[in-house]
Amino acid sequence: MNSGRQLILFSLLSIFSVTILSAQEKITLSGYIKNEADGEAMIGATVFVEELSTGTSANIYGFYSITLPPGTYTIQYRYVSFSTQVKTVELTEGQRLDIELVTESKQLDEIVVTSEALDANVSDVEMSVEKLDIKTIEKIPAFLGEVDVLKSIQLLPGVSSVGEGSSGFNVRGGSVGQNLVLLDDAPVYNSSHLFGFFSVFNPDAVKDIKLIKGGIPANYGGRLSSILDVRMKEGNSKERSISGGIGTVFSRLAVQGPLKKDKSSFFVAVRRSYIDILAKPFTNDATLFFYDLTTKVNYDFNDNNKLYLSGYFGRDVFRFDERQGFDWGNVTGTLRWNHLFNDRLFSNFAFIVSSFDYGFSFGENDLDKFDWNSRIVTYTFKPYFNYFLNTNNELLIGGEATYYKFRPAEAVGVSDGQVSDISLDNKFALESAVYVDNTQKLSDKITLRYGLRFSTFQYMGPGNVYEFQPTSPGERKELIAANQVNGRESIKTYYNLEPRASLRYKIGNGSVKASYTRTAQYIHLVSNTAAPTPIDLWTPSTNNVEPQLGDQYALGYFRNFGGGNSFETSIEGYYRDNKKQVEYVRGADIFINEYLEGDLINGDGRAYGVEFSIKKNVGNLNGWISYTLGRSELKTDGINNNEWYPTRYDQTHNLKLFGEYQITKRTSLSANFTYITGAPITAPTSRFTIQGVTIPYDYFNQRNNLRIPATHRLDIGLKWLPGKPGKERRVNDYFVFSVYNIYGNKNPFSIFFSQDQGRVIMGDQVNTLANQFSIIGAPVPAISYNFVF
Amino acid sequence: MKRLIIILIGFVFYSCEDEVSIDLKEAPSALVVDAWINDKAEPQVISLTATQGYFNSEEPRGIAGATVEVTDSKGNVFEFRDNLNGKYTWDPTNVAEKIETVGTSYQLRIELNGKVYTASSTLHRVPTIDSLKFTFKEEQNVFQPEGYYGEFVATDFRGQGDTYWIKAYKNGIFLNNPFDLNIAYDAGFNAGGNIDGFVFIQPIQDAVTPLNDDLDAIEPYIIGDSLYVEIHSITNEAFYFLQEVQIQTQRDGGFDEIFAEPLENVSTNIVDQTPDLNNKVIGFFNVSSVSGRGRKLLE
Repeated sequence: MNSGRQLILFSLLSIFSVTILSAQEKITLSGYIKNEADGEAMIGATVFVEELSTGTSANIYGFYSITLPPGTYTIQYRYVSFSTQVKTVELTEGQRLDIELVTESKQLDEIVVTSEALDANVSDVEMSVEKLDIKTIEKIPAFLGEVDVLKSIQLLPGVSSVGEGSSGFNVRGGSVGQNLVLLDDAPVYNSSHLFGFFSVFNPDAVKDIKLIKGGIPANYGGRLSSILDVRMKEGNSKERSISGGIGTVFSRLAVQGPLKKDKSSFFVAVRRSYIDILAKPFTNDATLFFYDLTTKVNYDFNDNNKLYLSGYFGRDVFRFDERQGFDWGNVTGTLRWNHLFNDRLFSNFAFIVSSFDYGFSFGENDLDKFDWNSRIVTYTFKPYFNYFLNTNNELLIGGEATYYKFRPAEAVGVSDGQVSDISLDNKFALESAVYVDNTQKLSDKITLRYGLRFSTFQYMGPGNVYEFQPTSPGERKELIAANQVNGRESIKTYYNLEPRASLRYKIGNGSVKASYTRTAQYIHLVSNTAAPTPIDLWTPSTNNVEPQLGDQYALGYFRNFGGGNSFETSIEGYYRDNKKQVEYVRGADIFINEYLEGDLINGDGRAYGVEFSIKKNVGNLNGWISYTLGRSELKTDGINNNEWYPTRYDQTHNLKLFGEYQITKRTSLSANFTYITGAPITAPTSRFTIQGVTIPYDYFNQRNNLRIPATHRLDIGLKWLPGKPGKERRVNDYFVFSVYNIYGNKNPFSIFFSQDQGRVIMGDQVNTLANQFSIIGAPVPAISYNFVF
Repeated sequence: MKRLIIILIGFVFYSCEDEVSIDLKEAPSALVVDAWINDKAEPQVISLTATQGYFNSEEPRGIAGATVEVTDSKGNVFEFRDNLNGKYTWDPTNVAEKIETVGTSYQLRIELNGKVYTASSTLHRVPTIDSLKFTFKEEQNVFQPEGYYGEFVATDFRGQGDTYWIKAYKNGIFLNNPFDLNIAYDAGFNAGGNIDGFVFIQPIQDAVTPLNDDLDAIEPYIIGDSLYVEIHSITNEAFYFLQEVQIQTQRDGGFDEIFAEPLENVSTNIVDQTPDLNNKVIGFFNVSSVSGRGRKLLE
């Protein structure tokens, strides 16, 4: 297998080497593109060569490189809502040209605003990608007035969640655990605060968000459904600035500035919620709060070397008295080194640590208590090479190795002073991948992106290896053998080849794009609850649990309308076919269960749909309409009579409207409207009684056979900058007033069936009823004050 | 387990809950076998009833006219006679055959309308209850108010795979709310917990102090209350069955809904000898050894 991998890589590389040779007599122009105001790298800024009508764009570190025949060129540097900068460059030898772009609102003399259109959405080969910059996110009216990254992406086509306030998000009918969430390259294993009302991303610290729903490039992998790549701000390298906000739920403060001007900068942002403090008189010692710290430092050693160190630390704490409670949180740390080997070969080496844990504590004293926690810790090394071969080819080559340590449960119970340690053994695994990916412009009309990722996963010792024997489908597997592995030897190894390909073909003012993605997923988020929760468990593929495999096909048409491409439209269809999705047996116990593998079974998944999107990015009135018509289904032996059934996040119609109107220079109004088909749930037909307990029963044995009513909601927000027109304020500040769910719709989260509360004396009648639960059943007004100085 | 979590979910933001009426699919009725018998010296009952529409709160309809008998591996036959309303009874008083020897296996056989249903179970060992304790505790928080908390002390047998159902009676009334359902695999919550040969873990001991009727706080005992606790040995299959019953019936609503598991039919060990999609059978047969102990809370 090892030699097979080398053969494939070698043959791929030899294809490219032909183009490398032919590129020798050309000259390279390269450099970094930054924001003039704060020195932040501008991800995806475009570089356009007028004479050749060709160009490139800056990578995620703001680096660009373009190789041309010798000559004199007019080069445009562009970025949305920044003034285009035009440079005339005489290329006789390799040249480094670092650029700083200026926002449109600050007009300077040397800037030429061109009428040339920005049409990246049509001309890029990239499809099924959603980008949101933090400025847009800040305009969206938010729950309790708190801007949130994950809630904002749910307004985009193909993205949803199982209900208001629930953790995580679903992309194109995939589960929450099938999304790879990256914060500065570090995987985030649980992205929620307060059970999902807010996400772990502090908007003050976020620079750029990219959600890849399909056509996933080969440099990403490890999850079936999507990649959410969140990049943090580097920190203002020009001047010190302090920003923050005081809101209804939490307060934020961020400090950033240069450590050494234009060489080194830092960024620190903190948040803490304070409902617990406000509620203290009513709740005694009970408390519920979260806090997080996001920080980054970077240093430019010289033109060719930059170092970035970033980290996140956050925790949610939910206590009902001093000793008893529940808490959870993430820690991530990323050290990255950007190195330019030459003007065409950019590299990045990242060392990453990430961990998520949760813990419960019960019991009044040390003689009677129960403490339990669970953790996943990972260490990752990622080398990445970005080779700008020539104007027509851009190559990515790299690898990734992650060492996993799963601690499923560390649990100690003390009963009357007798200690029982019921901790489970740790599980270990190593996931690695190598990839090569090339973006090739074949002609003005056709651009191709193709790549191959080869991934491996080793479930390794030390640990217990169990063998199970299947019983009837959908039932707990029977343990037949247990062996102990002591060393770091491999228990089970899996390999997968993951081909990826995208194509863009220009037709008139629009383009058609198509893509194919194969992905493999080796770690699984096991949840037996209707909605994702912080106590869902990450568990590795083992000798009993196979990796998940997914294929996605997408086809789309992209077209811009209006002067300056003011309307961006697209329609995309997708079909996903997943194998070996992890499901669980009836009555599965996922907590503190050494034999969890016996409770996990495989199923197949499929999802398909069409996404429509219209966006207006310019003018006083802007916003978007996104609509998804979709289906997401599972088929698992032993469930639903072995037939396909809809997933809990299957949403036939998903309509989102967002609009923002600039009323005056200092006031803007925004609104969003959401309509989503009700989630499917399982309803009983009948009931029966065993030993005095009334138990629901579905005669037809179906899964997710009833739809709860559709949800819809309108939120509005008003942003107001205090002060008088024309008068410069020392502090740049604004207020946001918002009302979430303005017409107070009781949007159902679930309908559940239960017996009437209270105790029934044996033999008495038992009432059973259906209740509809709404997480938010009223309008939620909020006000926040935000400042920068 | 669930009991631990619902205590945590006491917080309410802007949530609300309303009773709704839903048209559920009409379904034929299935035969329900409720056959939990034990070694206690009192009449043993096996009930045959029919499932009913989910919102139908009438007493379940009893099924008469069946012959119900249990035979054990020693060759004894226990005949359960129909007295009333589908309740088939066998009285151990004044008869020679007894349910008593641990390790004996039992076969249930039901004949109804020409069809035969069978099930099997084994009598397992049960530990004695060493003591019942009442401890006065100050108010811990809104969920754990001031008062007397009861607990039982018993030690699981050494050797993995003992499963138990712990039943509590407060002032003579069996605590049979879904949230009172207290089961143990060895001394812990499940097989994978690996807590063997210990005193039952604290949450299992504590569960004999019930929740209040609103299920939002524990209701401590008061002076004069009595507590009677029984441990019933159950088969592993019965343990899993009851675990599924917990999942399906402990629906408290509110924020607990975020943690709720989807509705699913619980398992059955009743075998239809001539399986037939139009005449489904569900229910459970289990034979238990029982140990018990009572105590009255005095000043």
